[in-house]
Amino acid sequence: MKKFIYNIKKYYKYAIYSAKAELKSEVADSYLNWLWWVIEPFSFMLIYTFIFGTVFSNDEKYFASFVFLGLLAWEFFNRMINGSVKLIISNRDLVTKVYIPKYILLLSKSFTYLFKMGISLMILVPLMIYQGVPFTWYMLLCIPIFIVLYILTFGIGMILMHFGVTLNDLGNLTNIGLKMVFYLSGVFYNIQKRLKKKPTLSFYLLRVNPIAFCMNELRKVFLYQKLPSVEGLLVWLGIGLVLCAIGIHVIHKNENSYAKVI
Amino acid sequence: MRAMKKKTESTKSESKKRIALTVQDLHITYRGLKKTSIRAIWTKLGSRVERFHALKGVSFELEEGKILGIVGKNGSGKSTMLRAIAGIFSPDKGFIDLHGNTISLLSIGVGFNKKLTGKENIYLSGMLLGFSEEEIRAKEKEIITFADIGDFIDRPVKTYSSGMYSKLAFAITAILETDIILIDEVLSVGDAQFKEKSYNKMKELISDEHRTVLIVSHSLDTIASLCDIVLWLNDGDLMELGPVDEVLPKYKEFMANMTNAKK
Repeated sequence: MKKFIYNIKKYYKYAIYSAKAELKSEVADSYLNWLWWVIEPFSFMLIYTFIFGTVFSNDEKYFASFVFLGLLAWEFFNRMINGSVKLIISNRDLVTKVYIPKYILLLSKSFTYLFKMGISLMILVPLMIYQGVPFTWYMLLCIPIFIVLYILTFGIGMILMHFGVTLNDLGNLTNIGLKMVFYLSGVFYNIQKRLKKKPTLSFYLLRVNPIAFCMNELRKVFLYQKLPSVEGLLVWLGIGLVLCAIGIHVIHKNENSYAKVI
Repeated sequence: MRAMKKKTESTKSESKKRIALTVQDLHITYRGLKKTSIRAIWTKLGSRVERFHALKGVSFELEEGKILGIVGKNGSGKSTMLRAIAGIFSPDKGFIDLHGNTISLLSIGVGFNKKLTGKENIYLSGMLLGFSEEEIRAKEKEIITFADIGDFIDRPVKTYSSGMYSKLAFAITAILETDIILIDEVLSVGDAQFKEKSYNKMKELISDEHRTVLIVSHSLDTIASLCDIVLWLNDGDLMELGPVDEVLPKYKEFMANMTNAKK
C-alpha cells in the first residue's frame, strides 16, 4: 500500500500529462473532432429515447435525461473495462522498454474517460433545463456516487488488466459480460417499475449489479430529489476498495513479468 | 529525485571507489506467466510449463564511473540482464542493488505519441523516464538543439522521417542524464553527421567520471574503444569478467572456434 501511494505520487503527473496527450491526439487531426465527444453521447441518447420511449412507449418522467444519465455512467464503466483488458498489450512498446507501475497506465486511461464523462455531464445540464427538471442541492450528492463508481471500476479494471496479459480471449468473455450488464443495468428502463410483479428479481438486480445500483442512485439525486442509499454506497465502496487492494497486490506481484510475456 | 541526486553527489566525493551497482546471483527464467487462452487452461491443466533459463546466477559489482561492455553470442542473456537491471524484469532469484542511483535504459522513442508534436513528446517521454516537468523544461532547449530537426519539432511525430524520429529519441535520452546508463546495441541513428555527433555525445556521457555505463554490443571495436571492463555471457552463464585486453581475445577465440566447429 505504501508502494502504491509512493508510485501514485511519483507518476500522477505523468498520468495526467499522458491523458491530456491522448485527448489532444484525438483532436489533432481536425479541430472539430472534439465535437464528436458531444455528438456521440447525445445521439445515443436520442436513439434510445426514440426506441424505448416512443416505440416501446415508456412513460418514465424526464425520459431523455433518465436515459442520458444511465448512458453516461454506463459509458464510463464500459470504456474502462474494455480498455483495461488489452491495456498492457497495446502499450507493448512502453512496457518492454521502461519501468512504470502498470496501474499508472490505467489511471491515465481513466482520466481520459472521466474527462469524457464530464463532457456528458455538461450536456446533461441543458437537457435537464429543457425537460424542466428542478435543480436542487441533492444533485451535489452525485459526487460520492461517482467516487464509488470510480473506485469500483478501477478495482475491476486492475484485475482484468492483469489477466488480460496472459489470457488471449479474455476480451471475448468481457464482451459477453458487458452486454449482459448493459441490458440488466436498466440504462433505458426503470428496473423497479418494469419488474413490479417480480419484486425479488428487481431487488437483486439493483443490489447485485453495482452499475445498476450507481445508475439508480444517480437518477435519485438528479431527477427525483431523493437521498442516495447511504448503506448501499458504503457497501459498494467497501467492495470497491477490496477489489482495488486485490488489484494492486496482484499487479505489484506480477508486473515485472509482463514484459516477458508480451 | 533532485534530493536523491544531491545525496549521491555528496557521497560521491567522500570515497572514490564507491560501488554503483551490485548484481548478486541473478537468475531469470521465462515461465509462469505464459500466453494462454481460457479454453487452454482447461485442457492443459496440470501440464508442466516450459522454462527457459535466460540467466543462471550472474554476480558482479561495478564501481562508479566504470564503463562495462557486455558481449556474448545471440541469446546469451545480454538484453535480459540489462532489462532486469533497469527494473523492467524482476529477478527470479538473486538481487540487483543500484545503491540509490538513478538509472535509464537508452532506448529509442519510449512512449511517443505519433499524433503529437515533437516538443510534446519530449515531455511525455521524459516524464516516463522519471523526470519532473520542470527538469525537462530546463533541458528542453538543449534537447531541441541537439536533435537538430528544425521546424519539425513543432509538427506531429508521424510526419517525421525515420532518421528524424531516432534523432529526437536519442536526443531525449542522451540529454536527460541519469547516474547509470544502460545502452543496448550502440545507437547508430541518423545521417553520417548526426552519427558522429551522437557518438561524441555518447563519449562525453561516458567520460563523466561519476557516470556508470553498461553497453551491450556485438561490435567488438566499439567495446574495445569505449569500455574499461568486459563481461562475457554465454548461455546465461558468466564466462569472464575483466579488463578489455584480457577478455576480448578469449572471446574472439571462443567465437572463432565455434564457427570452425560448425563448418
